[in-house]
Parts: sequence; structure tokens; C-alpha cells
Amino acid sequence: MAADNQQYDELAKQYGFAPVPESVSRLTQLVAQQYADLDEIAAVIQSDPVLTKRLLRVANSHATCEAEYTIDTVEQAIMRYGMGGALILAMGTPLALALQKAFQTMIGLKLEQFPAHQLVGVNGEHMRGSIGFSGKVNGHVYLRMTLQSSRSVAASIFGCKPEEMNNADEIRDAIGELLNIMTGNFKSNLCDSGLDCKLEPPKVGITDDYSTPIERGGGIERIAFRAGSIHPFVEVTANPWHG
Amino acid sequence: MALKILSVDDSRTIRLIVGKAFKPYDCDMVEASNGEEGLVAAAREKPDLIILDVTMPVMDGVTMLTKLKADDALKAIPVIMLTAESGRENVLHIAKLGVRDYLVKPFKDDQLIEKAGRVIPLQKKPVAAAA
Repeated sequence: MAADNQQYDELAKQYGFAPVPESVSRLTQLVAQQYADLDEIAAVIQSDPVLTKRLLRVANSHATCEAEYTIDTVEQAIMRYGMGGALILAMGTPLALALQKAFQTMIGLKLEQFPAHQLVGVNGEHMRGSIGFSGKVNGHVYLRMTLQSSRSVAASIFGCKPEEMNNADEIRDAIGELLNIMTGNFKSNLCDSGLDCKLEPPKVGITDDYSTPIERGGGIERIAFRAGSIHPFVEVTANPWHG
Repeated sequence: MALKILSVDDSRTIRLIVGKAFKPYDCDMVEASNGEEGLVAAAREKPDLIILDVTMPVMDGVTMLTKLKADDALKAIPVIMLTAESGRENVLHIAKLGVRDYLVKPFKDDQLIEKAGRVIPLQKKPVAAAA
């Protein structure tokens, strides 16, 4: 195992892989054990201001601003949100980083992350992509954006103007690939932490259904982004330690 | 003589991005949308380089790579993996099968060109031809 780790580290350096933040990697490894020590998990989250902020935001999901938080420590949040919630928190970070990197490198847009309640959601028909994953953790990743946003994103990827982007299959393929990139990155982090899972093929289509089914006994995290008029929404649902 | 590059990916978007990256260079692009088609295209076209995805329907990239490396007529063709998956087990397994490089999606054109340029002698097309 140690030899494999060393060999992988050498290959990762040779191939130029961007590492997952240490705190995220450590958190995923800890919660993957199911019966990990809560104090240790809290310490890892507290060492990372971004994780701390996200956990408190999720634990205070009904609050519209920090002044309304009723849960204001990491320990309280973990007690409230549970180990499954901590896992979803760990899973959300690679997803968010991968989507931001995909937008930056493929489209040249800098996506900023926002609390979901601060942004106007998608209304009416919208583009929804989803990928299921199953194994030691089961769940789904969803990517939603308005039809106009999905057209603009696809046009940027294909190097044309949005009004020239009339092929629905090409728009779906582009959104599906963004979803693939995002989910592939996060699956790698899960597998490396001992939560082996397989991805299903992406499903992309137009829908007016906003409901997000949550796996039995599982949790959900919503992450909202903004780059100009483009507002992608990411949702991850998971039921850890299944199977 | 133009180099021949085979792009194997189930996403048309990625095949298009790969094609655009190589457009300024003296290359002919060949495409396949899964490993099975990729093997047929590799045998038919004898490309100078294969850019290969991992997760694909019908036949995935790891299976295609395994079959390619087991075929005396094809095993010398250099392969660069282009995938969103960089998990330890996958990478170690793929490295053992024999790939020249590994690029994680998302990627920039110049990253792909830099890696390809280390494997094959890429030459820029004359400006008029590249336009």
C-alpha cells in the first residue's frame, strides 16, 4: 500500500495532477470510516475556513444571513448534521472546485460560489443533468441551469455565438461533459478515501421538475454559482455506508 | 506527411475541443466514440498518437488500452489518457498498462499540445492552411 501511494505520488507529479485540498482529503477519509471520532472530524473542518463556513451555512439552512444562525460552532453543526452530512460536505468541495476549473479552462469564466438562497433560482423549464453513483456510497449529482445559460455555455465551449447554437444534442452533450468532468473528479476523491463507487452515464434533458430525490437515510447539499448572467446550481445527494 | 491523431471519447464536445487544439498543426484527426470503435480505427488508420478517454459506453478506455497493448500490430502506438478520473487505483493500473502521459479534464489546449509534442513531432501548419 505504501509503495502504491509512493508510486501514485510520483505519477501524479509526473502527470501534473492538481491535488485535492489536504483538509478535504482527510475529511473524506475520516468520514469514510463511518465510526470515526467526531472530535477529529471537527478539528479537520475547523482547520479549513471554507469547510467551516459551508458546514455552518448548511446546518443553518433556514437562515438568510449569518446573523440569524442558531448553530454557530462546528461541533454543534456536526451533531445536528450528522456524519453523513460531513461526508456530503467533503464531497461537495471537489465538485465545486472541478466545476469552477471547468468553467475557467473551457469557457474562460470565473464562477463565484454563493449561498443558494442569495441567488434567484431557475424558473420554469431548465436544463438538468444528473449522474448517479453507486457502491460504498450511493447518490446523485445534479447540475441545473436556465436554457439560456446552457445555450451560452455550450456556445462558449464550441466557439460560436449563442444564437448560432441551435443543435439541442450539442447543448446537451456540452452540459453532460461539464457534469462528467465535475463528477469524475469527485469520484476519484471518494475512491481514494475508501468509498469505492461507480458512475452511471449522465442523463441530460429539459425539465420543469425542481424536486431532488434524496437517498433514504441520506442528505443533500446545494451549491450555487454565478458568472455574469450564468447561474449554475449543483446538488449532491448521498447515502453513505450503503452496501 | 501529416501526423494522424485518433481521439477516442464518447463526448462530441471533447472530440471537438481536441480537434480544435490540433488544428494549427499538421495533423489529420480521426475520431471514435468508444473503445470498440477506437480499436477498429486504430487498426485501420495506424495513428501516430491516440488520445483516450476512460469512461465510455460499449467499451471503456482501460479495456481498449489493454487490448491495444496486447496486439503486436498496435501496441507501439503511443497513448495519452484524457479523463476526469484521477483516482489512485485507476492511474496505477493505467500506468502499468503503458501510457505516455495522462491529462485530467478539464484541460487547456496548450496543456494537451505540450504533452502531445513530447510524444510526436508536431509541426505548425503554414498560417494560411491553419486558418
